[in-house]
Amino acid sequence: MNSIPLDEHLIRREPYYHASGEEIPLAVAAWKAGMPLLLKGPTGCGKTRFMQYLAWKLARPLITVSCHDDLSTSDLVGRYLIRAGEAVWSDGPLTMAVRAGAICYLDEVVEARKDTTVVIHPLADDRRELPIEKLGELLIAPDSFMLAVSYNPGYQSILKDLKPSTRQRFIGLSFDYPAPEQEAEIVVQEGGVAAEIAHTLVKLALMTRSLKDSGLVEGASTRLLIQAGKLMIAGISSRTACTVAITAPLTDDPELTGAIDEMIFSLF
Amino acid sequence: MNPEQLKQYFYDLVHPDLPNEWEVEEVMEPLLDLDPAVRSAVLEQVQVIWPVSNSLCYSYLHQAIPALACIKAETLGRWASEALEIYERSGLKDAQQFMINVQSHFACRMDGQGQRFKEIAGRMEPYLRGLARRDLRLESSKTVFTDTRTVFLPEELSLFQGEGKNFLLYKLTTSFQWAFIALDTFLVTAEPNEINPSAKGKLWLHEYLAATEFPSLLATLYFLFETVRARGFLERELPGLMRDSSRLFASLDKKSPCKSGVERIVSQTRNLISGQLTEDESIEDEQIRTLLHSKAVALDSLRLAEQISHQADEGWESIVQEEPLFFQGRMELTRVEAARMVLRREQEAGFVEALATFFLSLPTAGNDTTDEEAETEDGAKGVSEADAALLFEEQSSEGKKEESSKSPDFTRLENELELSEELQELAEEIKNDLGQVPDQYISAAMGKAGQAQAGMGTPESDDGSGSSAPVTYDEWDYRRAGFRRNWCVVTEKQLEPIQSNFIRDTLEQYKGLRIRLRRQFEMMQTRERFVRRQRDGDEIDLDALVESLADTAAGFPPSDRLFIRLKRDERDIAVMFLVDMSNSTRGWVGTAIKQSLILLSEAMETLGDRYGIYGFSGMRRLRCELFPIKGLDEPYNDEVRTRISSIAPREYTRMAPALRHIISIMKKVDAGVRLIITLSDGKPEDYDNYNGEYAIEDTRHALIEARMAGIHPFCITIDQHAHEYMPRYGEVNYIFINDVAKLPARIPEIYRVLTS
Repeated sequence: MNSIPLDEHLIRREPYYHASGEEIPLAVAAWKAGMPLLLKGPTGCGKTRFMQYLAWKLARPLITVSCHDDLSTSDLVGRYLIRAGEAVWSDGPLTMAVRAGAICYLDEVVEARKDTTVVIHPLADDRRELPIEKLGELLIAPDSFMLAVSYNPGYQSILKDLKPSTRQRFIGLSFDYPAPEQEAEIVVQEGGVAAEIAHTLVKLALMTRSLKDSGLVEGASTRLLIQAGKLMIAGISSRTACTVAITAPLTDDPELTGAIDEMIFSLF
Repeated sequence: MNPEQLKQYFYDLVHPDLPNEWEVEEVMEPLLDLDPAVRSAVLEQVQVIWPVSNSLCYSYLHQAIPALACIKAETLGRWASEALEIYERSGLKDAQQFMINVQSHFACRMDGQGQRFKEIAGRMEPYLRGLARRDLRLESSKTVFTDTRTVFLPEELSLFQGEGKNFLLYKLTTSFQWAFIALDTFLVTAEPNEINPSAKGKLWLHEYLAATEFPSLLATLYFLFETVRARGFLERELPGLMRDSSRLFASLDKKSPCKSGVERIVSQTRNLISGQLTEDESIEDEQIRTLLHSKAVALDSLRLAEQISHQADEGWESIVQEEPLFFQGRMELTRVEAARMVLRREQEAGFVEALATFFLSLPTAGNDTTDEEAETEDGAKGVSEADAALLFEEQSSEGKKEESSKSPDFTRLENELELSEELQELAEEIKNDLGQVPDQYISAAMGKAGQAQAGMGTPESDDGSGSSAPVTYDEWDYRRAGFRRNWCVVTEKQLEPIQSNFIRDTLEQYKGLRIRLRRQFEMMQTRERFVRRQRDGDEIDLDALVESLADTAAGFPPSDRLFIRLKRDERDIAVMFLVDMSNSTRGWVGTAIKQSLILLSEAMETLGDRYGIYGFSGMRRLRCELFPIKGLDEPYNDEVRTRISSIAPREYTRMAPALRHIISIMKKVDAGVRLIITLSDGKPEDYDNYNGEYAIEDTRHALIEARMAGIHPFCITIDQHAHEYMPRYGEVNYIFINDVAKLPARIPEIYRVLTS
């Protein structure tokens, strides 16, 4: 039907991305070979940014779907809608991406129910096809199409794991928080703060990340550090910025809140 | 009130105990002169303290009148409750001491001064762990020190007016103790790779100091210089803290008058640490200032301490005797040694355990090959000890790599064995401590793996004689607004099976109800169903569409709900039924409860929810008994049926400990919804004064604890008087059934309503 590139999904300006390993050449190679990507790593460590960068580098539109447990197959593939007394077919994001040869990125794929994720199976192996039963159509993905999924192995329960039959179709890229030096550089770039402050923010992040045994589910992500940095640049005092951008989003537990605040007051 | 009345009043309070008359007279006499209101405030606490400790109660009565000189009658409760806490933690003597020193230990804090360890520990412990990025602990103690695994802080701080400063001092002290750990103050060695503490468990520093002429002077100087280094470290790492603390430093240590020689150096150093020596002010030995820099190491402090100790003259003893700076604390090398040795043993045990598990997880060497290797007999599944040792060597020394990687054995290992992250971490820690992974660790793991393998498949030796190890639980005392620590002892016991026709009769009697229940429960079990008339969905709902078109044609506003959606309800429920087996259930109540359980279980089987059943009874706090009737994941079989029919009335209703035990079981269960449903016939009641307000409040608190653990409690009762106390458990949490005959039909229904 429409093979026009999805303009609004094209990324025109180079997103800032600091590679921590060989992920970029690997992903490009996977794209060329027509293999799908599985990104895993904690929240806020740069998975989505990496996808944006990759889409920019490959000059393909990027269609992101945030998965949730009510996501149905029709939400991905498409459905008939009733418009003015007529049933009109409407493509879902996945179908749109296949038609346009775009990159389809399913964020937090484990949140979707297992029977929904099965729909990507024929797309994710060497068949690279998407059957649309209701239209009686079999879409063959163009070479430029790429499928990518992400998930966070950290906090999800065992119940929400990917099926082996799903997993075993992907190239797996593991993401983690960058090394302290790199992370500070990212905070400088994205948050706009001075290097010294960025280093202190990273130190704070490392402290919170070691609180797992004390009941903190996940430590401060790079994203939170950047947000704290941006608040500082906007003229908020560093202690307040950290309290609102780091402590508050991390936990509601009064004692942990107190402990993280004390860390902030010690560092700044 | 005359003396006789007062005495009688006391006896009523401590009933059923009968204390010595002369003792009671002695403590009651001074109370006679008190204002009646104050007297009753004093006596109010007797019920709180007496059951925990009679001696403490007498001490309390002795001390109450002098204490009233500096505290108000309203605060007696808090005072008593703190005394009880101390009693439960460190015994009668300390609690009595606390009561005697009411002025310094309690009253001054009531004026808004002082800070207690208990109040800051919750916040400071994660703070410390965050700083150290590992699992350090915080404990209270008389003096400040650290053994490198735990930081010990004083029970209470009241050096300053107002909470803020005392809290800050706690924080500063915690940070300094962390600095000593981070800077390896106690683990200093002359050679970098020395095993420290030695195999005998002695720290290098300890042995080194002991060999010198004036060990205590050298130790004092060394620790003082290390504190300088710690200050420099904290200024770099935690600038915010040091900035905040500047207002503390000034008041902590007064500048001492100028002395000469080593004493002068010491007092200057102390001023340097507490920030009272400005940059341009000179210090006798400028080398001390260099310790503030990041490049300084512990050995520098030691060398400098040695150098300066040689200059010491007559007055050196006063240096040693001087109190250390508060946040500096003391250097307790023996404690450090003990802690390091415990750590070493723990590492060994953890490593052996992990490695043994690792060996067991390896694929077994082919059974068909006639393998002569002795290792297979060891149970190590074809991995020889030498192989395993090599594995760890490889990861430690990259220098020696080329030799070992040529060995064919290793190549095989490299291909086949990949150590888990946990194991690698453990190995790394051990290497940091001992330089290498000792061979005996590996052979111990091989041995353990061998034993475990030999043990596999053999039947459990435990013959299931009937009871589990007792567990203790706290009990809530509402008067004290606190827990009586480790007050109740709960044991799980097996029911004696009784053969009877009960099951058959019940199923026969309720045949119709059973079928109805089954149908109702089957409907709940439906996991997938189509819901019509949705705003969006997978299919078009033709009925709705036709209707909407007709509406449009007729000029009505058409509906936009035109789709059918497949709805999936996942039942992820775990429920525990806690059944009252007290004596009062004797007769038809007990029968009705049993019948309900059978009908419920039958119905539950069609539903597939996880459910368990426990009975409870007991007598006195030291014998609370729980009877497992059906485990959460145990199938509903003949054994369970027999156990249900074996339920028989036993002793008393002390529900809270049973609830607490079930909560501890349910906490470990992973389910979307966790429920505890209690079935009882009356108020909680037991010996040792467990009745009335106290029992209801304790039960109420146990229900609150369940909620706090994310478990929904629900009470079903057939007590006629339930309305008098049940509402206090929370309106929505209970249901009262007045007709016992309806119980078998009602309980499954209640469950159905609760969970759908």
